[in-house]
Amino acid sequence: MNAQLLHVDGVSYGYGAAIVLHPVSLHIAAGSRHAVIGPNGAGKSTLLNVIAGNLIPPAGDIRLGQRPVTRLREGARARLGIGRTFQHPAVVEQLTAAENVTLAIRHRRMRRQKVRAALEQVGLGDYAGTPAGQLPYGQRRLLELAVVFAAQPQLLLLDEPSAGLDPSEITHVGTIIRQLPDTAAVIMVDHHLPLLFDLATTITVLAAGQHVFSGTADEVREHPVVQAVYLSPATPDTIPTNQADQQEPGGAATAGKPSRLRRTLTATADTAAVQEPAVLQVDSLHAAYHGATVLDDITLSVDAGNVQAILGRNGAGKSTLLNTIAGLHRPHRHTRIRVAGVELRPAQPADAGRHGIALVPQGRRLFASLTIREHLALATRHTRRQRQDARWSIDDVLDLLPALRDKLRRYPAQMSGGEQQMAAIARALLTGPRLLLLDEPTEGLAPQVVDQLTATITRIAGTGVAVLLAEQNQRAALATADRISVLDAARIAFSTTDINGPATHARLAGYLGVSTAGAAA
Amino acid sequence: MTTTTAATASDAAREDHTPASAPSGRRRLAWRVGRWPAATGVVLGAAALPALAGPYVVGLASSAVVLALLAMSTQLLAVAGLPSFGQTAFLGVGAYTAVVLAASGITDGPVQLAASAATSAVAAVVTAPFVLRTRGVSFLMVTVMIQGLGYAIAVHWTGVTGGSDGRHTPPVTLGNGHPLTSTPGVYWYAITVLAVAAAATAVLLRSRLALIWRGHAGHEPRMTALGYRPTVNLGAAYVAAAVLAGIGGALTVAINTFVSPADLSFDVAAAAFAAAALGAALFGIPTMTGAMAATVAIVVVRDYFGSNGTGPLYFALLCLTVPYLRPAATGLRTWYTRRRQA
Repeated sequence: MNAQLLHVDGVSYGYGAAIVLHPVSLHIAAGSRHAVIGPNGAGKSTLLNVIAGNLIPPAGDIRLGQRPVTRLREGARARLGIGRTFQHPAVVEQLTAAENVTLAIRHRRMRRQKVRAALEQVGLGDYAGTPAGQLPYGQRRLLELAVVFAAQPQLLLLDEPSAGLDPSEITHVGTIIRQLPDTAAVIMVDHHLPLLFDLATTITVLAAGQHVFSGTADEVREHPVVQAVYLSPATPDTIPTNQADQQEPGGAATAGKPSRLRRTLTATADTAAVQEPAVLQVDSLHAAYHGATVLDDITLSVDAGNVQAILGRNGAGKSTLLNTIAGLHRPHRHTRIRVAGVELRPAQPADAGRHGIALVPQGRRLFASLTIREHLALATRHTRRQRQDARWSIDDVLDLLPALRDKLRRYPAQMSGGEQQMAAIARALLTGPRLLLLDEPTEGLAPQVVDQLTATITRIAGTGVAVLLAEQNQRAALATADRISVLDAARIAFSTTDINGPATHARLAGYLGVSTAGAAA
Repeated sequence: MTTTTAATASDAAREDHTPASAPSGRRRLAWRVGRWPAATGVVLGAAALPALAGPYVVGLASSAVVLALLAMSTQLLAVAGLPSFGQTAFLGVGAYTAVVLAASGITDGPVQLAASAATSAVAAVVTAPFVLRTRGVSFLMVTVMIQGLGYAIAVHWTGVTGGSDGRHTPPVTLGNGHPLTSTPGVYWYAITVLAVAAAATAVLLRSRLALIWRGHAGHEPRMTALGYRPTVNLGAAYVAAAVLAGIGGALTVAINTFVSPADLSFDVAAAAFAAAALGAALFGIPTMTGAMAATVAIVVVRDYFGSNGTGPLYFALLCLTVPYLRPAATGLRTWYTRRRQA
């Protein structure tokens, strides 16, 4: 048996009066593979931050080997051999991939060879000279892994290593983690349970800041409390009552919804009956970065109340498509983007906003210095000019996203990833959109929250909003979409409304790899 | 003006290296090949200036060398993501060091340079721990105060600085004890010092330390998570920048045989900051070439064309181009690429 590398004894943490991590103890042996799972807001990231030294716990004791490190800041702990990744890939965007890795290798000897080896290990060998900011999101995550591995830490903290990756990349990440030397211990936080069950020797389950259970993958799968808080599909029994109404899929059941929201739903159902042009009509969209074509001749339309999901591997151009529609990226001049029949001027985000396009960007992009209430107030300012029937009040939005109701005074940094995603969606809805663009909304969310989110998206569409969803998580995409389109090689490879047909699944597997992303064990 | 340039410098420090620095292989090669004749031309032109122009222009060019060193000093910090307005304070430390040495009979130029570099480095080491507690706009504001503090000390510490009347010094001498009095002689001395400082800076900017600075500028949490010490590494940038400014101070004394608080005034600091910001705006990233080119532009429009008193107006107009330079440069490049492809 290996010697114990990390001791965490009775460590807790709180933001102000809110305790996000109750006293927890962990003992990690050198070379072990340890996973931490739990619903969003369970305190997983806080635990990692406390171990990495980004947060100094008010109580408890942390030792690395024999050395107490409780009072050391993150830099000092890093020098003792703790390496970490962040929830959103932390790479220096201005530097090339190779330069990013170079920074992790302190010793001059064989540095160049080590950099090349580290990049090739994660499959970025061909991108050594590319600035990290030009890499698609998923590859930035792989680059961050390469950077952290190259530093050869004793203890590796991985915060959601699979978030934003496509199935084949997730398999790849699993292989890479498995290849890490036996001397390095790994603590992983992730929602991709098949990956964790496959890799981890022990799994710790957290819920609401409490340590629920630790054991092997099989023990965790069988444990009744774990089943209840995390693994089982959401049922009204396991959900606090104020969230119960979220679990019913979409427009099918208006019963149990708050009266105000029901009113909105019926109002829009009437207007939707009148024949209108498609909410979004994109014709021959062509987009490129520095001359390299990313999207070629994309034509698609989304009708009011419909959800269209865009699937594709990382780097296929999903985010570029959404950003171009939102006016954040200038398309080629023959591109036509019309909203409710009105043609938008290219690359004018304010114009897109005025015509009722709201973007929930990847990584949420909340304002760090504003509370959630201020986010919502800021978004509401525009609704005077919006169509009456599409107007959402803050109360409507809070009925739809009840998790936010008692978090209005919080800053984004004090909220879990799932709550932040809800806040980003709430902010978008309050602008009164005709078209909601969602870029990877399920990234980094626990399976149960993904289910809530898919139900929420279906309900938003039920109010007459058109939704265009770029998604890595096939299960979530298939659960909500009325139409799916697959991007491959800069074009829409195929598009179908037959969501659950076997032929569709076969083609999806062909383009995207086997769908395991987001599957609950 | 200050606000505009301030924002641009800090933006530029963070802006992508992407568009301009990623040309196709062939064009990059053309640029590499074309760069050496251009650089040689500039060096030869600068060396031959006293033969081509009158003493007034040569004198202006000498003072431009001091501004160039200040701009390089500011730009070095911009590379590390730190927008600094306070480099004139270190120029002051360097200048008054040279004055004190000259007053005590040490007039040897290189000795003054070395001593000025040393004292400004010490001053930077002392102030760095305080200044480097801040980043971004806060850093800028703190360095504005450093500039003001430097100026106030220069005005009030009359025993050393001579107050606002300034102090005259004997001309500097070179190794053989021969005093440098002719305008071309002083000019050649100044551009030689500038060339050596620029070469040293170029080497420094290709070092691993500079890569670490760019890492800090781009993503400090990542650098900390890799175990880097921000205060130590950025402190090294702060000291290196102070040394450049201190050398500029010693040169001020060598060129003018006089120094007064006006040499480290707000206007001088603004000009240096504007040169760095304009240089960064031109290339999209903070570069020394950009800072040098902007320095020449500032001296030409402000001091040469504006010698009748309209200089500040021209200078302000030049600063207003900062937000438009980068889009203009990008547009020009796109147009050029299209034309080549057609």
